[in-house]
Amino acid sequence: MIAEILKALFILLTVLMIAYLGRHYIFTLTVLKNSQKRKKDANAENIVYQPFVSILIPARNEERVIGRILQRMTKLTYPKDKTQIIVINDGSTDNTGIIAEEYAKVQSHITVVHRNKEEAGNGKAAALNAGFKYAKGEIVFCFDADYYPQRNILEKLVKEFTDPKVGAVQGRVVVLNEPQNMVTRLVTLERIGGYRVDQKARDSLGLIPQFGGTVGGLRRSLLECLGGWDESILAEDTDLTFRVYLAGYRIRYVYDAECYEEAVESWRAYWRQRYRWAKGHMQCAFKYMFKILKSGNLTLKEKIDGSLLLNVYFMPIFVLFSWIIGIPLFLSHPPQWLSISWAFMPIFLYSFVGNFAPFFEVGIGAYLDGRNRALWLIPLLIFAFLYNIPICTKALLDLAVSKITRKKNNYWAKTYHSGNGNTYIIN
Amino acid sequence: MKRSDYLILSFSITGIIFCILLSYIFINKESTFILAVFNLLFITLTFPLDGKLIYKTCLLLLGNIVGAFLNYFFLLFTFLGIYCLGEFFNIICAILNPFANLVWIVSFWSISLAFLANSKKEGKDKI
Repeated sequence: MIAEILKALFILLTVLMIAYLGRHYIFTLTVLKNSQKRKKDANAENIVYQPFVSILIPARNEERVIGRILQRMTKLTYPKDKTQIIVINDGSTDNTGIIAEEYAKVQSHITVVHRNKEEAGNGKAAALNAGFKYAKGEIVFCFDADYYPQRNILEKLVKEFTDPKVGAVQGRVVVLNEPQNMVTRLVTLERIGGYRVDQKARDSLGLIPQFGGTVGGLRRSLLECLGGWDESILAEDTDLTFRVYLAGYRIRYVYDAECYEEAVESWRAYWRQRYRWAKGHMQCAFKYMFKILKSGNLTLKEKIDGSLLLNVYFMPIFVLFSWIIGIPLFLSHPPQWLSISWAFMPIFLYSFVGNFAPFFEVGIGAYLDGRNRALWLIPLLIFAFLYNIPICTKALLDLAVSKITRKKNNYWAKTYHSGNGNTYIIN
Repeated sequence: MKRSDYLILSFSITGIIFCILLSYIFINKESTFILAVFNLLFITLTFPLDGKLIYKTCLLLLGNIVGAFLNYFFLLFTFLGIYCLGEFFNIICAILNPFANLVWIVSFWSISLAFLANSKKEGKDKI
């Protein structure tokens, strides 16, 4: 009886993994196909649509990087008289507020919102909501303090809002400090898989491109209707993605709107960041899984993709679980079907590498990006994958404990930015 | 394409079929399955990339040879282990086999892409 249950569970897990693998295989094929086509929407560059925009930059103890992004913001090609930059100094104990104020003195379109120690430190969503109160723009953009955008990024992102169905846009994130060490190099590969292939394919196929919470913007009217950012969710970006879709709007991914980020530099920082992402994503999965399946505003393919996207952080746990079940099943005189699915295990394993892109997806992304040296590092992504198993397992266990005890334990583990990315900027 | 290219192409395709057949007859079904998955991924995802068809086919043949040989050596290693350590070693090898295949598939994949990317770059440099 127990063996039968285990077999059924193993089959279920195998089917789930095949579904994810198939999804990423389709994404990779789509991007490959699109890469061979010439750009048809070249005319989109000629669309002149320049609404007043607000840019929110939440910053908590970011003295090493805040000057870099503010300096860059003053160099954007978007008209300054149509731009409002709001720095939210979220109770920083370093010089972040002072540096931002210095820029605000010289640049009239920069405003600094200071949050005192009592109200600050409750996460990015709370800081964004505080800044949003001062936003006057028709479109509200968010940029993290460690980011460094292209000069014409706003033009590229804003043009998508000419379509009234578009509620939000997302630009591409590229790692700035890639050569720093092995962690930054592996994060780069994950980002390539995620943004060069995954997001682009989801946009091309009319699925659900994810709003990443940075390098993106939303319609102010929509954001007001939605009530701003949900402060009880750790992955406020994923939460907003699904609220946008449930409200009947769409998100566009603008592949050529690039912004450079300072990736985490140590495995410890990687853990803290991914733990937050995993826990937040799982919170969203519990919150939206049934809502998206029931919603009349989503098409069938959006519902399927949305469900897979919501549950993606459970997959490393399922892989671990499938090993735990698979080994005893295999030992107890395996039937033919089990040895075949066991043979499939390496492919499954690599399906969930790092940022949940399989090796072939990362490889094709790196190739299309012309990142020849990065290609050699793909086998090392196994370490990032193995590291994600305890991260996601801990996130799920902590979430389960907080659900059972009804204690909200949404501590926002801030990612430390060293400012080492400045070395890689050529002025 | 030149006549020599056609010859290399047919030789490579024959070699690939030969590797798959050999793996089925002399190794085990799992190795045939792994080779089939490798071929499917390689053909559908690497062949549409820039680069000469002849290079890609040769790489595919090389991948099949590497895969078949590694699986064959792993089988010999298993037999040796069983002879020295007993039947228990068979179970260990059966569990480790997918991971051994993982290593060569992913490594070969990244090396192949790097080779194709470099050959594309060299081609551009020459122009």
